[in-house]
Amino acid sequence: MSEEIEKIKGERKKWEEKVIKPSLDRFGLKESPNRFYCPADLENFDFLTDVGFPGQYPFTAGTYAVIPYRPALRGSMPGGSGLVRAATYSGYGTAEDTRDYYMQMQKLGQRGGPNLAFDLPSQCGYDSSNPMVRGEVGKTGVAVDTLRDFEIIYEPFQGDLNLDRIASNYTINAPANIILAMYFALAEKRGISFDKLRATPQNDILKEFVARGTYIFPPGPSMRMVRDSIVFITKYCPSMNINQLGGYHIRQAGATRAQDLAFSMANLIAYIKEGIRAGLDVDEFVPRFTVNSFGGSMEFFKEIAFQRAARRMWAKILKERFGAKKERTLLLRAGLHANMGNENCTVQRPLNNITRAVVGAIASALSGGMPIVYPPYDEALGLGWSMEASQLAQDGARILQYEAKLTEVLDPLAGSYHIESLTNEIESAAWDDLNKIEAMGGAVVAIENGYMQREIAKGAYERQKRIENGEDLIVGVNCFVGEDELEVMTTRLVPHPYDPEKREKAEEKQIQNLMVVNSIRDNHAVSKLLNDLRVKAKDENENLIPTFIECAKAYVTLQEMCDVLRDIFGEYQPIAL
Amino acid sequence: MSEKSKIRVLIAKPGLDGHDRGAKIIVLGLRDAGMETIYTGLRQTPEKIAQVAIQEDVDVIGLSCLSGAHKYLFPKVVELLKAKGKEDAMVIAGGIIPQNDISFLQEQGIARVFGPGTSIKEIADYIKQHIKKQ
Amino acid sequence: MHEMSSSMVTRLINEMLEGNILSLARLVTLIESEDEATPRIMKSINAHLGKAYRIGITGPIGAGKSTLVERLTSLLRGQEKTVGIICVDPTSPFTGGAVLGDRIRMQKHDLDDGVYIRSMATRGSLGGLPKTIHGVIKLLDAFGKEMVLIETIGVGQTEVDIMQSSDLVIVVLVPEAGDSIQAMKAGLMEIGDIFVVNKADRPGAEDTLNNIKAILKLNAERSNYDIPVVATEAVNNKGIKELYGQIAMKRQLLINNGQFAERRRKQRQSEFIETVINRITSDVINRLTTDAILSRYKEDVENGKLDPFTAANEVYKSIALNGKP
Repeated sequence: MSEEIEKIKGERKKWEEKVIKPSLDRFGLKESPNRFYCPADLENFDFLTDVGFPGQYPFTAGTYAVIPYRPALRGSMPGGSGLVRAATYSGYGTAEDTRDYYMQMQKLGQRGGPNLAFDLPSQCGYDSSNPMVRGEVGKTGVAVDTLRDFEIIYEPFQGDLNLDRIASNYTINAPANIILAMYFALAEKRGISFDKLRATPQNDILKEFVARGTYIFPPGPSMRMVRDSIVFITKYCPSMNINQLGGYHIRQAGATRAQDLAFSMANLIAYIKEGIRAGLDVDEFVPRFTVNSFGGSMEFFKEIAFQRAARRMWAKILKERFGAKKERTLLLRAGLHANMGNENCTVQRPLNNITRAVVGAIASALSGGMPIVYPPYDEALGLGWSMEASQLAQDGARILQYEAKLTEVLDPLAGSYHIESLTNEIESAAWDDLNKIEAMGGAVVAIENGYMQREIAKGAYERQKRIENGEDLIVGVNCFVGEDELEVMTTRLVPHPYDPEKREKAEEKQIQNLMVVNSIRDNHAVSKLLNDLRVKAKDENENLIPTFIECAKAYVTLQEMCDVLRDIFGEYQPIAL
Repeated sequence: MSEKSKIRVLIAKPGLDGHDRGAKIIVLGLRDAGMETIYTGLRQTPEKIAQVAIQEDVDVIGLSCLSGAHKYLFPKVVELLKAKGKEDAMVIAGGIIPQNDISFLQEQGIARVFGPGTSIKEIADYIKQHIKKQ
Repeated sequence: MHEMSSSMVTRLINEMLEGNILSLARLVTLIESEDEATPRIMKSINAHLGKAYRIGITGPIGAGKSTLVERLTSLLRGQEKTVGIICVDPTSPFTGGAVLGDRIRMQKHDLDDGVYIRSMATRGSLGGLPKTIHGVIKLLDAFGKEMVLIETIGVGQTEVDIMQSSDLVIVVLVPEAGDSIQAMKAGLMEIGDIFVVNKADRPGAEDTLNNIKAILKLNAERSNYDIPVVATEAVNNKGIKELYGQIAMKRQLLINNGQFAERRRKQRQSEFIETVINRITSDVINRLTTDAILSRYKEDVENGKLDPFTAANEVYKSIALNGKP
């Protein structure tokens, strides 16, 4: 085998001298703008160890072996096995506004469960009436203060769309256990047993400290809450997922590709350790971990290689480091795969973003994902996706699947000298970064001492500099601009699923609603429950979720519960740059 | 402006919005443009921003918000600065701010709103050209 | 940065002395920019100086100084003492700019009128402190701050700078390998009145504490003094009361043994000599360019016609014998 490689190396040298050099001379170039990969770039390749078959360790070729894709209904995203999961990320204003929105969507034929976006006060553990959050209520999502809001949001979900028939998604992190408690309380009220519930909370607090900013408590106590969720869900909710991890936000915040993978793995390891520390077996709970997605970029081949490296690395960590015994534990279950990277959407010449999103979708299809064209081209305009953009995105995915037939072959680039060597490179770089973090003591330490935050800020700044000095080219932004270039625009029909008037009035209405709830509930019981919470929170070994459920049932507010915890856990103090 | 003085800029994120990539880029970028940038991080209330601006005697206050709460928060900062007598600082803004809101913000005292994709150089040049000289 | 009229400066000083924070901040900027009004300002506030107790807090990056300062401030405020804090960060030698991010750790005190926090960049000063910091500290003193905390990184000639501007120096270290050695190299072992091992919950804390005590004993001159070494976990609010206790004791000790007064005397002396030197230096340099005869000497040296020692001698004779200072 190595004799052959030596021969090829020899031939390559000859080629470089006989063919490349004269061309370079002819064009006056020092270095060639093109590369070529051959077996010599992939010396110790072993198909079974490095790639394997889809759906089998090390999963380089794909998480699943059989993927029956089905066309998605308008306004929804296809799930991992082609089943329609939760609906589009949605929610705004008051609970009533969001309920009305879902009723509207159901009239249009949507059958999915709520994929809830929460407003920032809710994500940060504040009530809508808190003067500190003025201006923020109901803006980035729905305002949830008490169980009452959940009851209202779920009004359209009854009968054959009840909690046990639909999947709910919550993009909630720091107060995830409290929001889940409201969900559980609602289920109890409706007589639905927890083992029938299907939901996925994002519940990925570590990335909040470094990339997304909706944290409440310091890392230590936050991990205790993660432990609570791992234990509770594993024990009582066999159909629920525990979290939705992933480097998506980390990469969007500025991390490099290798750091995206490394920091995600470091966080994953930290979460796994919590579950193990609580006495669980990895095979019991890790199968319920899901991945939101990893970050993306326009570098087509690198993102393909990235997805393969990610699956392999995840599987290796779980098998070799944590001794997982079941195949199911090794699966990297992701909703979205390779993509162009949200932050690469340009505001200039927005239609170019279609081209970019399609590139991302092709990368996804070629690396074990679905050909999801994301995001719609007007993402950067910041005013909601227009109907045209949404339709174009959906048709894009359909064209890639049914006309280009990209999903017929799994991991079609397997064995390519280029892709395999790139996959190795990316995995190796990620291991280097991961080992740095592990040497520090793990993700929590790397966050407490600001390492991750600083690296991400550095990455963001370096990228900005490269864009500004033209090292990184973005078409229509820092190159190919000028009078002879057309600005292709199109009119947009934004359907305003969200009534802007309702959104403006939401804060006032919600404050009123909250006042009513506070006056109707049994405030004596509320005090007792909060005291109970205080006592239990002080005991590290107590799982607080049952207490949260009792509090939720008594209409204790989100902030009231969080304030008790703030007292005992403290609040996260951010790091200087 | 004397040779020995520097332009001092406060970069602040009012409200709960946690996306600070842009703000951090500006902080580092303005440093490399020769300015002293004070970054106070996330979750700044308008009251805190005004107080820091006064103590640090900044020439420029840059507000960043991507959550849509800018129409309340940004004018509040300007109002507090006026009330406390600090009117010599220029207030600029960035983030996700719809075109339609820009004239409203300018009426409320925001000198300039920089959209996504603005280069550091543009912001640095704007600051250098427009800070008040008494 | 702003062209200030004499009457405006007077107004600022009067307002500052009455407790106006805006005016204080403005004056700090003027001092920091070495504005020509500086001597006037310093003269006007001179009578109001002396009450502030100045504590310098130094140590390597990552030692947790900012958090420690924040915790100490909470304690001081609990005792109703007013506090001024100056946080120092390095100016980039390439761009002249700086990121001043220390106060993010102290935001608890942002809205407390009893606390004034100011961030300063080193602005080309070779040591750990900007050269204008003495003037800024004096402003805080005149403003009425009872305690002034100066936080800085222990690099360069920090030890010289910080001794020049504080009554007490606290050196903060962390239990990581080599920290105490680095501190020794930086000369920090010579200047600390109190040593703190922060993040004392980390492994190696005990060893670091013992190492420091041993090194202090080795220093013959100082081994007679009681130099306390305190363990803290600033983030967990542990050891702060003990540290404050040591500060209070040390303060009293230094007053009792005359060190407090002696240091201040030396500082005033240094400041005087430095001010005189700066005054003369800037004047001479100016004259070397503007004075017809003197600038010729300069040119001749630059062209290699005359050696610098002969030229300097002539210049000195000319200025010392003929010119006004």
